[in-house]
Parts: sequence; structure tokens; C-alpha cells
Amino acid sequence: MEPSNDVALDIIITNVVSVFRTRCHLNLRTIGLEGSNVIYKPEMGKVLMKLRKPRITATIWSSGKIICTGATSEEEAKLGARRLARCLQKIGFKVRFSDFKVVNVLAVCSLPFQIRLIEFTKNNRPIASYEPELHPAASYRIKNLRSTVQVFSTGNITVTGKPLTQILNFQDFSACLHRAHTDYCISKNYSQII
Amino acid sequence: MSRQCKSCGGADIDTDPARGSAVCTACGSVLEDNIIVSEVQFVENSGGVSSAVGQFVSADGTSKAPVLGSGFHTSLGKESRAQTLQNGKRQIHNLGSQLQLNQHCLDTAFNFFKMVVSKHLTRGRKMTHVIAACLYLVCRTEGTPHMLLDLSDLLQVNVYILGKTFLLLARELCINAPAVDPCLYIPRFAHMLEFGEKTHEVSMTALRLLQRMKRDWMHTGRRPSGLCGAALLVAARMHEFRRTVKEVISVVKVCEATLRKRLTEFEETPTSALTIDEFMRVDLEKECDPPSFVAGQKKLKMQQLEQELAKKLEEYQGEINSYRDEIETQLAASSRTKLRGIYASYAKEDDDCVSLASGMTGDEELEDEEMEAAAQHLNQEFICQVFQQGDRGGMEDQEGSRDTVPLSSQATHVPLTALLGPLPSAASLGLTDSIRECITEEDTTNMEDKSKNGELDLDGIDEEEMEKYILNEIEVKAKTELWMKQNEEYLREQKEKEERIAKEKEQGTYKEKPKKPSKKREPILASTAGEAIEKMLEQKKISSKINYDVLRDLNSKGSGSNTTQQAEDVPAGGSGRKKLTRRKKQPNKSNLGLAKPARLMGKRLRPLISSTPKKKRTAAKPVTPNITMMLPPAAPEPPPAPTPPPVMEIGPVAYDEPAEEEEENEEEAEVSCISAMELIGGNETIEFMTTFRFTDYGCEAEEEEVF
Repeated sequence: MEPSNDVALDIIITNVVSVFRTRCHLNLRTIGLEGSNVIYKPEMGKVLMKLRKPRITATIWSSGKIICTGATSEEEAKLGARRLARCLQKIGFKVRFSDFKVVNVLAVCSLPFQIRLIEFTKNNRPIASYEPELHPAASYRIKNLRSTVQVFSTGNITVTGKPLTQILNFQDFSACLHRAHTDYCISKNYSQII
Repeated sequence: MSRQCKSCGGADIDTDPARGSAVCTACGSVLEDNIIVSEVQFVENSGGVSSAVGQFVSADGTSKAPVLGSGFHTSLGKESRAQTLQNGKRQIHNLGSQLQLNQHCLDTAFNFFKMVVSKHLTRGRKMTHVIAACLYLVCRTEGTPHMLLDLSDLLQVNVYILGKTFLLLARELCINAPAVDPCLYIPRFAHMLEFGEKTHEVSMTALRLLQRMKRDWMHTGRRPSGLCGAALLVAARMHEFRRTVKEVISVVKVCEATLRKRLTEFEETPTSALTIDEFMRVDLEKECDPPSFVAGQKKLKMQQLEQELAKKLEEYQGEINSYRDEIETQLAASSRTKLRGIYASYAKEDDDCVSLASGMTGDEELEDEEMEAAAQHLNQEFICQVFQQGDRGGMEDQEGSRDTVPLSSQATHVPLTALLGPLPSAASLGLTDSIRECITEEDTTNMEDKSKNGELDLDGIDEEEMEKYILNEIEVKAKTELWMKQNEEYLREQKEKEERIAKEKEQGTYKEKPKKPSKKREPILASTAGEAIEKMLEQKKISSKINYDVLRDLNSKGSGSNTTQQAEDVPAGGSGRKKLTRRKKQPNKSNLGLAKPARLMGKRLRPLISSTPKKKRTAAKPVTPNITMMLPPAAPEPPPAPTPPPVMEIGPVAYDEPAEEEEENEEEAEVSCISAMELIGGNETIEFMTTFRFTDYGCEAEEEEVF
């Protein structure tokens, strides 16, 4: 490895998906008509509510289950979820905030080098799969952590999976990428980039 | 097979396969008699031809040999697994032949399918999808130039759905399909583009281009067909063939935009600068970055430039602002009392807020932020000087309360609040927020308990903002109207549905779960055939192929001649019923069945009986044995029975679809026998009867006597 490659790789979390329950039946029509930033879809049976402060979009079902997406961190997700519950409380439902769980975290990272996907997939055979006809990225599934890493040829990668395992997962992954990197004399790309 | 003789203990045993016996050579005792032999036996036929005894059994599955002479209907059905495999095999062959795959590929695909079935991966998936995925798997492993798109074209299924199934199967079966190489598609597309004799040359050129593209990182992450298209287009032009973009697109199955993009990307590589000869001879060493990477780099650069520009702008703006503030402060200084008034009122506010939140860091942080923001815009020193002179008097009151805040910055704060309108309000809001936070801090201690209870924890929630999210009454009304209008149709549908359900509830026929309606029907008890038909029609789902008016007419006209026919109808009741129903069902299809001779009709009966589908077998079962019994006697002994059946067959019956016949078979059990006269009476096909000859049945013009 070239010593000049001491670039700190920033993993940026771009999306956090969480769910929680209000433990009470919600009348979607009331929410749909009294909320100022809601979309009510009766065919699908759900209400979409968007909050501005932590920028989140929530899908509300009449059973009381709510899915929040769009937060940029886990704390923000929780805050947003609580705000939402407070809002519903104000509309008049007996809302209780329970079973909050972060379901999925999406993070992106940009590597400073390109990756040859075909050779990368060949070397990591059962774990990685690349289907150019369907998707431009190779997807690398880590089973025990239950997360997926999508590798693009430009060096951008996206990591999707359960929270808290993201970091572990990325370390694992970077190890195999490192192997990929050194195997295929991509050193010359450095000279182009740096 | 070394055994020991029981009597003498000798190991030398002679086994004679012809006799099927094992004898000990030492003592002569027979150890085994009737050994099962596996020899081919021959039998001599009447013609003197000898043929081998035995049957061919297929290698896969436990397929029962169709032993019974009259057909497969009596077999209890092969086991489900064998049927699935057989069905799958058939579909694979169908689809594979459309793709022009050779037998070896089809067999491999079938093997994959067997593996899939044994791993229970077909459950919950459409059979067609699984089959397509198996076929595509074969294509990939064999390297045939078939794209997933072709398969999805044939099946009219979304390519991504097929892809999902394919990926799953590949993963489960641990089959590593080699990556798609665009070079594989070139011969196929070149052929389709019709280059005539030069096809090979053009293909070679296109291949070289592709190799070049690969080295220039254009092919990673792209659809191989798009690259192929671009390479072929360029190659064609190089060899002086004119192929427009549209022609190439129709062959390659990508859209115009993609093709153009690939071409422009290729243009940007240094290879494009070479002449044709050079290209064929020389291969450039340098590799390019992938185009998306290049685009990304450009974006970054643009962003950087923008940032720099913004900074510069800010600087300039800062200067302008400073001048503006200067002027204004000068003006303000002249009317100092006014300023103090504003300041005083603000100060009062501030005082209250500050005293409440005195211990909190939040306040100061906010203020600091404000300060920093201000500092960016203003030239601190200059203004400090101006203000320190002017406002020193008024400051003294506040100094005590604002110890931590430096004088200079405070000085700047004062004019800000007076001059820059929005800031104070923002500041006050922020303060109120933080105050609320401090008040609700007590709740944080109960947080853990609350989350367990499920009660809502109000920490950090901005009440005011929440208010904004809820509309007041007028707004609610307006929104209600709008929403109602938008969703009118859906609401109407819902209303109708509810009304229907309410009605049914009253009638008592409301089914709680209409998902799986019970298929058991009561046997129809009717005194006349007409009643039976009506009842049957009520129960059964209404078919669009029946002309009900004619049906009703039939009943009304045919009732008179009922008695005369009944005696004759009894023996042929079983077979008659079938045909009667058929006749009834197709009163409109006149003259269609005319051309077909009776022989065919007779023969049709047999397949009709034998190929009844499984689900209808239960209904047809009680009837079919009757029919089979009926038929064999009917066929070789034409005179007694055949007159009614042939008569009924002739006119309007069409034997185009065995499926229809099968459908009708079911009704035999339910519908009582209708006399021939009834049916015939309603139709005008009587005259056709006379001309018909039934060589098979040996009938003559006796049928006329029926009338």
C-alpha cells in the first residue's frame, strides 16, 4: 500500500428507518384531514406524514404501527418518532410510544479508487454477486451481520443493514476490499487522483 | 457371490442364469431356485416377427406405465412430485425451443429444475418464473447469447422480477454463473443487422472495440447490450455500412439515450482520435477512468468552485454590510434616546429570560452563535469603536448580568437587535425553546420508566412546531372538501360495498370470508329437466358462451315429446347426457360440426372421457364409469344405442376445443336427461340429420324415424 493513502474514509449515514407502535387504533381520515402536511391514501390504507425539523417521512397505519424514514441518525430518528407521536396526541388520539426499534440504516462511503467488479466478484464468489443487466453495482451480502454492501465501479459504496453492526460490517468489508485493491494494480489510479 | 454350500461347506457354486438356479458343484445340492434373472426375452408374433418382451420406462420419476387399455383415466394420478417435474419438463421444452436452445441445454435446465424442486424453492413462486430462471442459468453457464431480456420478452414479465428469481436460484444452488461478457452478443447482433458477407469482419472490429472499451473502464456496471450496440454501430460505420441508431436499437434492445451516451463516452477516450487503420494496428497503453468516475470528479470540482465563489461573495457582502451598518449606526447615534427605548424593551425581555436560564449553557451557546454570525457580516472593531462611545451609558445596567459575554460582542449585539430585524425574534424563540427544555428537564429522569410504560416522553419536543402541524377548523373544512373531491370514486366504491354487505347480511347469505367460497353444491332435485337447468344455472357461475334466451326456448318447445323418447334414452343415458349438455350449451354454433363425420365424434368421446381434469374427476367419476361401460358396447354394437347419440351430436355441436367438452362433462351429474326431441325441437337443424351417414356405427337413414 502506498503511504500516501492515509485518506480518512468518512462513512456518512444517510437514512435511518425505524418503527414504533402507538398501541391504539388511529382514525386515518381524521389525521388526513386535520394534519397540514399529510397525504392520505385510502386505497393503500395509510397516511404519509412529513415532518420538517428532523426531516422524516412517516407512514401511519390504522392499527397504530408507524414507520419512520429519512432520519440521518438514530437519535434523530427517535426524536422524530416522538415528535410524531406528540403530534398525533394533539390531534386527539390516546397515543403511547412503545416498541421503538431502528430497523435499517443506510450509509454511504466514497473510496478513492475504482474497483474492477468482475474480478472482485470472482474472488468473493458466493458472497458477492454482480449482475450488470439488472443493477450496476455488485452486492456483497454478509450473512452473519445480515447486511448488504453495494459496490459501484467508481468506488462509491453503500452499506445497508441493522444498526450498530454497520461499523463492524464496514471493517470486515474494508479488509476484503483492501485485498481487492492491492491485487489489481490500481496504484496507478492514485497518481491520477492525487 | 461367494457363498458356502450348506450341506458340504464347499465354496464352488455354479449359478445358471438360464435356469435360474444355483447348484453346489461338490455335493450337487440346489441352493437356490428361481433366481430373478435379467435377460431379454423374445416373443414371436402372429406374423412370425419376434419382438422383445418389456416396456420402456422413463429414467426420471416413478412414472406408472399406462397399463389399462382404455386410457389413463383410471390411474389414481401420479404422485405430485412426478407431476410437477413432468409439467416443468414440458414447459422447459416449450420455452427452450422458442429460444432455440439445443437438447443438451434443455436437459441441463431440467436438471437444475429438479434440484430446485427438491430444495422446495418452487413454493410461493410462479412456475413460469422458476422455469425461466433455470433456463437463463443454463444460458449463462453455457455462454449462449441469450439475455434475460429475451426471456422476459417471451414471458411478458418484468425483467427485474425474473432477475430476482434468477439470483436467488443461483445462490441457493451454489451455481456461479460467469459474468456476462458483451463479446458473446456480438455475433448474434451482427447477424441480425445483416451485414452480408462482411459480417465476420464487422464482428471482429466490434470485438476489438469492445476490448478497448473494457480497458477504458466503460463496461463495468453497464448493460452489456448497450456496449455491444455502440461497438457495432461504430464498426459498421468503419466498414462503410450505414446503420442508423434506430436500427441498432431495435436489435439490441436499449434506448436511444443510452446508445448516444455510450458513443459520447467512447468519443472522450483517446482511442477515438485514432484513424481506422491505426486502431486496427495499434493498441494504446493508457487506460481511462470510468466515465461515471470522471463525471463525479467534475462534480466535485464544480462544487469546490462554487464554494470559493460563495466565500468571495460573502466577503464582498460583508464589506457592503459593514458600510451599511456604519451609516445606520451613525443615524442611530443621532437619535440615541429612541435606540435606548428599543433596547430597553428588548433588555427587559432579555432580563427575564436570562434570569430564568441563568444556569444553563444553552443560552450562552445560542448567543455565541448569534455573535459569530454577526461577526462574519460586520467589521467588529470599527463598530465597537463607534458604539462604545455612544452606548456606554446604557450598557452599565446589563454588564452585571452578562459577565461572560465580552463587551465588544455585546456592543455588537445591541445594534443587531435594533437593526437586523429577524435576529431578535429568532433569538427569543431559541431562548424560549431552551427555557422549555429546562422546565421539562425534570421529565428526563422518568424517561426510562416512560418508555417501558409506553407513555410519550416529551423531551426535546417543540410544542410550538407541533401546533403548526395541526390545522385549525377552517383549514380542516377546506381540506376535507378537497380530499373528498379527489377521492370521490374510491369513497363511492366503498359505500356500495358496504351496502352490498348490509343487504347480504339481511338476507342471511353473507359470507364472512368471501376469499374461499365453498365449492360443495347441493345436488339439484328437480321434477322436470327445465327446472333442473334453471337451478343449475343459478348455482353455477354464469358463462358468457351461453345464449340463455335460446335455452329457455328449448325448454318451452320440447316438453311435449318427452314421453316417446324416454325409453330409448335410458340405455344411452350416460353418453346421451353428455352430448345433450353440449348441445344445450352451444345452440348458437350452428353448422360448425357438420363437416366432421360421425367417426370423429365417436372417437372424440373417448378422449373426452379420458382427459377429464383432476378437479372435475370427482364429479365426473360416478358418471364416467357408466360411460365407459356404455361406450364399448355402444361402439361395436351400433344398432340399439347409437340412434339417440348421433342424432344429438350433429347439428350445432362444435368439437373445436376438448376443454369445452370437459367443462360440460361436469354437468352430467347434475342435469337430468333431456329428451332428444326437446332439444331438436328448438333448433332448425333437423334437415341435417337425414344426410348424415354413420359408417362406424353402421347406421342408415333410420335416424329419421326418431322424429
